[in-house]
Parts: sequence; structure tokens; C-alpha cells
Amino acid sequence: MSDHAFDDQLSELLPRLRRFALWLTRDLSSADDLVQSTMERALSTQAAKREDGDLRAWLFRILYRQFLDARRRSQRYAWLLGRLRQDDEPQWPSAERELLAQSALAAFEHLTPEQRSLLLWVTVEGLSYQQVADILDVPIGTVMSRLSRARQAMRRHGEGEQPAPSLRILK
Amino acid sequence: MTTSPSEHDIHAYVDGRLDGERREAVERYLARHPERAAEVRAWQHDAQRLRAALAGAQTLPDNHTLQPAAIRRQRRQRRVQRLSLAAAAVLCLGIGGVGGWRMRGATTAAPMADAMEAYRLVALDRAARPDVVPQRAGDMQAWLDAHFEHAARLPDLSGAGFHAVGGRLFATDQGAAAMVLYEDAAGHAISFYVRPPGPRNHLLPTGRRVDGGLVAQYWSGQGYNYAMVSRDDGVDAQVAAEARRQSI
Repeated sequence: MSDHAFDDQLSELLPRLRRFALWLTRDLSSADDLVQSTMERALSTQAAKREDGDLRAWLFRILYRQFLDARRRSQRYAWLLGRLRQDDEPQWPSAERELLAQSALAAFEHLTPEQRSLLLWVTVEGLSYQQVADILDVPIGTVMSRLSRARQAMRRHGEGEQPAPSLRILK
Repeated sequence: MTTSPSEHDIHAYVDGRLDGERREAVERYLARHPERAAEVRAWQHDAQRLRAALAGAQTLPDNHTLQPAAIRRQRRQRRVQRLSLAAAAVLCLGIGGVGGWRMRGATTAAPMADAMEAYRLVALDRAARPDVVPQRAGDMQAWLDAHFEHAARLPDLSGAGFHAVGGRLFATDQGAAAMVLYEDAAGHAISFYVRPPGPRNHLLPTGRRVDGGLVAQYWSGQGYNYAMVSRDDGVDAQVAAEARRQSI
């Protein structure tokens, strides 16, 4: 694939990547930082290594890894500052908050980043279970059981059932 | 008695990825287990809501810095910066070694030093190629107008046998400058150079300066500084002087 064709494909996938990053980070500027480092990683990869597999799944994998790395770093940092709990509170940008309210998707907010990612990859992006397994580096059976938990959590937090406070803590 | 389907098949059913016998098996199973069927229906409903909410793909404000071309450009710039840092380090070592290398500050302060440098680069060293080569009569003027609004008209040197052969943009501290090169049949070159006056609006008085066998005859007008640059010998300088007289 020529650089030019590759750039075009990246450019086309950019909105999806940003959307995914936004659902992970809940903040547009951190989301764009994440997308930027993902793009840099993608562009610095040897052309030969990009050929196999689905470009979209590969980019999601890079982005998700970067997100986890960044979170690990910031949690260490937050721990040092003694405000780990505070960081856990959801802080959606107002537009997203509105969207959540409108679409009655408030339940989504209570999921862990991995659960959100799983549901986005499978139901919105339509990635195969195998692709998701590759992204998370787990066997496909593990993907299925995590998907069950994500879907149950979505149920538990949605549809009128008020989440018991204890659930949050035990989760 | 049907065995309960695998977790994989349940999800594949929810996601509409199950066909044939296995799909029928899941349906048979759900028909006998209404509680499980309700859960599966709810999962399907959740998936639809999620898709509906996100399919509209909230339009995020454009961020051009994320485009692949912009990222490549940044990477190149960082490389260049690293290289020039390395070069600067080498130069410092060199200066340290020689001990007392003097900056030729006078050159940078001299009027239209950049115009003469541009002439050397394009007309003498042929180190820089023109950005544009005119195909038709009005091409050079159109190119210049595209970069400098309301600048002076290009001088017409055809009476002396000189014709515009190319134009090039240069970067100066004050912004973009443009040079149009004229040549005659003998290969003699004269340049027309235009540049912005800079933040302090430093317009030049009419004057001339000779440096290294070249002469720059400069003036200002319409908010820009101009120079005609040529060799300092023979008729070239006279042609350049005539061009300047026409332009003022």
C-alpha cells in the first residue's frame, strides 16, 4: 500500500477513532491527544507490517493500548497525589452528557472502559469476536464472557433499575 | 431436551451473526426459557439504542492536526529540528576550536542582502529552481499578484532583450518574498525582487548597493520594498536602473 493510499484510509477512519477515544477518555482534548499518538504510531510503522488484517481493528488496538498505558501512568500519578477516587468519577463533556440523557444511555456511563470498548467494537463498529480477542490479547472465550458481563452491567444500570451503591464498590 | 447454547452463540444471535441450524437451536432454546429470552431481547434492544445514539456520530469539531499529512509534517519538522540542533552543536564545537569566529553581521543589516542572496542562489549557483516558469505572457504577473496584492507591476525589459524566465518565493523574517528572474539571449540575468517591509514597516529609500560583483538597486512603493539585482558590470545594471525608473 502506498503512503498516499494509507493516509487516505487513515483519514477516513479518523472520525471513528476520535469517537472511540472520546468514549474512553470523556474529554475531547485528551481524546484527540490519544488519537494523535495513535496516528503517529500508525504512521511510523513499517509499510510491510500494516498489510495484514483489518486496518480499523489494528488502529483500535493501538489506541486502546495507548489509553491503558496513559491511564496506568495517570493512576500512579493520582495515587501519589492521593486522589485516586476522585479520578474515577465520570466527567463527561456536556454535549455527551446531553446525548446520554437524550438516548437514555446513561447506563453506558457506568461501565468500565473495557466494557464500553467491547460494546462499541461489537455492536457499533461490527468487529468480529476474533478481532476483539486480538485487540485485547485474550482468548475468544474470554471475550464472550466479558461481553456477557458488559451486557448485564448495561441492563443493571439501565431500564429503571437503580444501581445499588454497593454494586459500584464491589464491581 | 435441548442443551443450552454456548455463550458465543447467544451473543452471535444477539448480534445477528448466527445462521442456519445454530440459529434455530438458539431460538428453540429461548422458546423454552422465557427468562433467558427476555434478557436476550433486552440485550438486542440495548445494542440498537447504542447504535442509534452513536450512528449519528456526534460531529466533533474539526482538528486538522490529526490528519495524516499534518502528522507526517510534524514528524519531518521534529527530524529537521533534531538535525539542526546537531548541526548547531557541531558548529559550536567548530567555533570553539577556531576561537573567535566573527559573525558577518554587516551583511544581514545591509539593505536587500536577501535580494542579492536570492539572485546568487537562482541565477548564479543555479542551486534553487524556479517555482514557476511562465508559459504565456501574463503568467508571471498573475503569479506575483496571487502572492502580493497591489504590488508594483513587473517591469517590462523586452526592449533590452530580457524576458521573464521564472519566479520563486523565498522566506524572509518579514514574510514571503518573491523573485522574478529575467534573462536575455546571452544568458545574462536580472532579477526583480519584492518583499514585505516587516513589522516596523521599514520602507527603504531609493538607493543602490554593490556587493561581490552584484548591484542591488532598490526602492519602495505600494507598501513593499523592491530591488533590481544584476551584475555590476556592463549594460545589465543600466537596464536594471531603467526598470527601476519605470517602476517608481
